Amino acid sequence: MQLSEVVVEVKDLFFSYNSQFVLKGINLEIRKGEMIAILGENGAGKTTLIKHFNGLLKPSKGFVKVFGLDTRKVSVAQLARKVGLVFQNPDHQLFAETVEKEIEFALRNFGFEEEVIKRRVDWALNLMGLAEYRNRSPFTLSIGERKRLAIASVLCYDPELLIFDEPTAGQDYLQKERIAELLNLLKTRGKTVIIVTHDVEFVVTRFERVIIMSSGQIIGDGSTREILTNLNILSKARLLPPQIAKCAWLLSDLNIPKDLIYPEELVEKLKDLISGGHE
Amino acid sequence: MVDMSSLFEGFKFKRKNTIIHNLDPRSKAIYLFITFASALIFVEPIPLLIILSTSIPLIVLAKSLREWSKSMRGLLLFIAFIFILNLLSTPVNRVNYAASMVLRFLALTSAFSVFFLTTTPDDFMAALEKLGLPKEYTLMFTMSIRFVPTLARDLQIIIDAQKSRGLELEKGNFIQRVKNYVPILIPLIIYEIRRSIMIAEALEARAFGASKKTTPYIVLKFSLWDYVFSAIVLLFFSLLISMKLLNMLPPWMNIKLPDF
Repeated sequence: MQLSEVVVEVKDLFFSYNSQFVLKGINLEIRKGEMIAILGENGAGKTTLIKHFNGLLKPSKGFVKVFGLDTRKVSVAQLARKVGLVFQNPDHQLFAETVEKEIEFALRNFGFEEEVIKRRVDWALNLMGLAEYRNRSPFTLSIGERKRLAIASVLCYDPELLIFDEPTAGQDYLQKERIAELLNLLKTRGKTVIIVTHDVEFVVTRFERVIIMSSGQIIGDGSTREILTNLNILSKARLLPPQIAKCAWLLSDLNIPKDLIYPEELVEKLKDLISGGHE
Repeated sequence: MVDMSSLFEGFKFKRKNTIIHNLDPRSKAIYLFITFASALIFVEPIPLLIILSTSIPLIVLAKSLREWSKSMRGLLLFIAFIFILNLLSTPVNRVNYAASMVLRFLALTSAFSVFFLTTTPDDFMAALEKLGLPKEYTLMFTMSIRFVPTLARDLQIIIDAQKSRGLELEKGNFIQRVKNYVPILIPLIIYEIRRSIMIAEALEARAFGASKKTTPYIVLKFSLWDYVFSAIVLLFFSLLISMKLLNMLPPWMNIKLPDF
């Protein structure tokens, strides 16, 4: 299999804040088109790590290369053009008079043509289901809508790598589904997507690769099945296993394999078991 | 560039176990008030120097000389500014006047430093309440101190979020640079207003303001040390001030610095 190009390369990354190491020796390679979830408890260093991917934070030791550029040598604005970072709380960034102008902000910062701006704003508004609010003030929107607006204001300039910090926090089931759909769309468009979350259930059926962090280190990096069924890693990171995996463990006496993560797999095995019992 | 964090070092409470830290906030408030008043009454360099030098032993006793000197170094720019401005705007005895103003500034800031380095905001609030200030106001004061670090954190997150959308703060001429801060200030102000509404609701939910008379958390007590300290402070400063008001300053206190 041909491996795609490396988008992010992290080598021996240490980062200290107030003479305390928050990241301790991170090594990581992210390739184009990957969908990655970074999981871990609060204070594990997840947000600190992703802030290195667009140069907001610079390594104390080691290096981070994004699209081949050493983050220490280029400005945040330069990296931001290719790396979209959506912060957890939309209220930390919304400021414009109207929803439309909010989305225009990044496009204007990057110096797009007026015509392109108009097209991109329309596109982002429709994509996030905000078209009817285009002339409203962002502050009159509900929290879910504000969150979508924050996402739209980054999506609009079509960055190659998209990073979402806790995209599902405070979202109801329907909104979560919408975000999942969006992530799928980004994937089909060939984008690289990274999300930071504690939401194991959201990750388990939608992501191929999972990275687990705990106290500033990566303690697990691999396929979702392999990592999210590894009790050792999960308990170290204080994460609960996905419900399907938990079910499978509880049923392991009945010869159900322990590494199931999809509902369909479990149903299949249970059906086999039931019909097998009748024959 | 002045490092703002080191500037505030000398005005931020640090928990230590010293005689000065353990004084009743009211005795420290007496000291603060009386040095403040006398620093404003005097314009002569020698008495101002005396007022300034009263705070030095207190800072040493509070084991906070390092924090205080850090703040004073952070204030160097202001000090230079005060000196030059007064030098240029005074017709006669320029050096004398400019030096006095610097000494007055140092005396005032040092007295504040003694007070805020050694008094927790909670103690300060308790003292103000004892003086009869309504709880609404004292709470407002302590909360505004309490939320400075939170505000600084929010500010950093907002700056990061806008930089991630391509905002370059250092770009453009002066006017453009000021404008660059609009996308940072608006979310900050709105976020803090929302937060303060939430805090107000949380306070009300916990029956804040339900009764006029509340049970204090901190019961202030004047110890022997407090009486001794306050007596010395009151005696010393009333002597100094009355000499000035009665025009009885000894000649050596009236010495003026020569001009260049």
